[in-house]
Amino acid sequence: MRFQLKQFGSEAVVYDSESGDTHYLPPLALALLQIYREHPRPSQDDIVRSLTERSLFDSGLPPKTQVDETLNGLRRIGLVSPK
Amino acid sequence: MKLLQLSPADLRERLRNTGIWLRTGPFSLHVQSRVESVAKGLTDLYGQFEVRDAREAFADFHVAVNPPSSLRSWLRPQVKFSFDGVEPFKPLPLDQAYPMLEWGLNWCISSHAHHYLIIHAAVVEKNGLAAILPAPPGSGKSTLTAGLVLSGWRLLSDELTLIDRKTGLIHALPRPVSLKNESIPLIRAFSPDAFINRASHDTAKGTVAHMRPPKASVRRQHEPARPGWVIFPKWTAGATTELQPRSKAQTFMFLARNAFNYSLIGAEGFRVGTALIEQAACYDFRYSQLDEAIAVFDRLAEAPALDRPGN
Repeated sequence: MRFQLKQFGSEAVVYDSESGDTHYLPPLALALLQIYREHPRPSQDDIVRSLTERSLFDSGLPPKTQVDETLNGLRRIGLVSPK
Repeated sequence: MKLLQLSPADLRERLRNTGIWLRTGPFSLHVQSRVESVAKGLTDLYGQFEVRDAREAFADFHVAVNPPSSLRSWLRPQVKFSFDGVEPFKPLPLDQAYPMLEWGLNWCISSHAHHYLIIHAAVVEKNGLAAILPAPPGSGKSTLTAGLVLSGWRLLSDELTLIDRKTGLIHALPRPVSLKNESIPLIRAFSPDAFINRASHDTAKGTVAHMRPPKASVRRQHEPARPGWVIFPKWTAGATTELQPRSKAQTFMFLARNAFNYSLIGAEGFRVGTALIEQAACYDFRYSQLDEAIAVFDRLAEAPALDRPGN
């Protein structure tokens, strides 16, 4: 298996055996990853609704922007498949 | 036999010729040197450590600190550190011979002992649990470590946290505690009975001196400890003493970045490191008064078993 994930509360760390890199997943990234694992093609509205209910957005940026940026990060790492 | 049982003349004669064999924690060292301050440093700081005849015992690391054999050594005396005949560092001024031995030994261990996950952090123990103190230079880590081990905590190491990859236990390496700059007079004032050797000035780290490890820590150097806490100390002038829980995931990331061999041992490093974090309570710790800081640590160590990390 390429990735090893260890969850600590609402955060996690991930080891990528291909690159040897270790990544930190803040609560929003971990929650998003969990959504994608349970529903491979969720709609953005569903994602925003689910994450809003869990109060995972910062006040600074619009939720959709935060979802996009986080998702791009997860895709760059390889944890979520490309579009 | 302990090093203090060797006469000064015998120790110097051995160091100059065959060298001495010395046991520190899980490692055996073979040390050879013609430099007087190295002999003096070993006498002052390693008296309680086991020595053997260097010709009869296996050593993990063969090291030497000696003057280079060039004309320059007459003009501006220097010393060089060698490991298995290789010189990994540039020579340093003669006044820094003893710190160079300590730094060289740290390098030998952190570059070769890969059966441990090695984190750049001090580590002390009380009541069976280890407190790991990772922190950047200037955070007051060495001062706090010295204060704790002078107040009943066991010194496991002031610099290298050795985590056994099989058991997850932390192994002791209770070599002298390196003190820098203002921490030298501070620890002298805190504990006038503590032995601190002659300071070396103008090193890359400023003024450096070493504190002799407590006798009990050396006697128990083969006893590992279970991880209990990871605490990031930060000395701040005038700050009130404050212990705040911190993110375990972020603590793991910091330890991974500050481990000497995390990348080298790959997935195993991830497994060992995350298992350690799972067992440990993680804190940020701000302090300005050493005695108050020690009281906070003592309260952690004396907490009822149910409040302890891992329960």
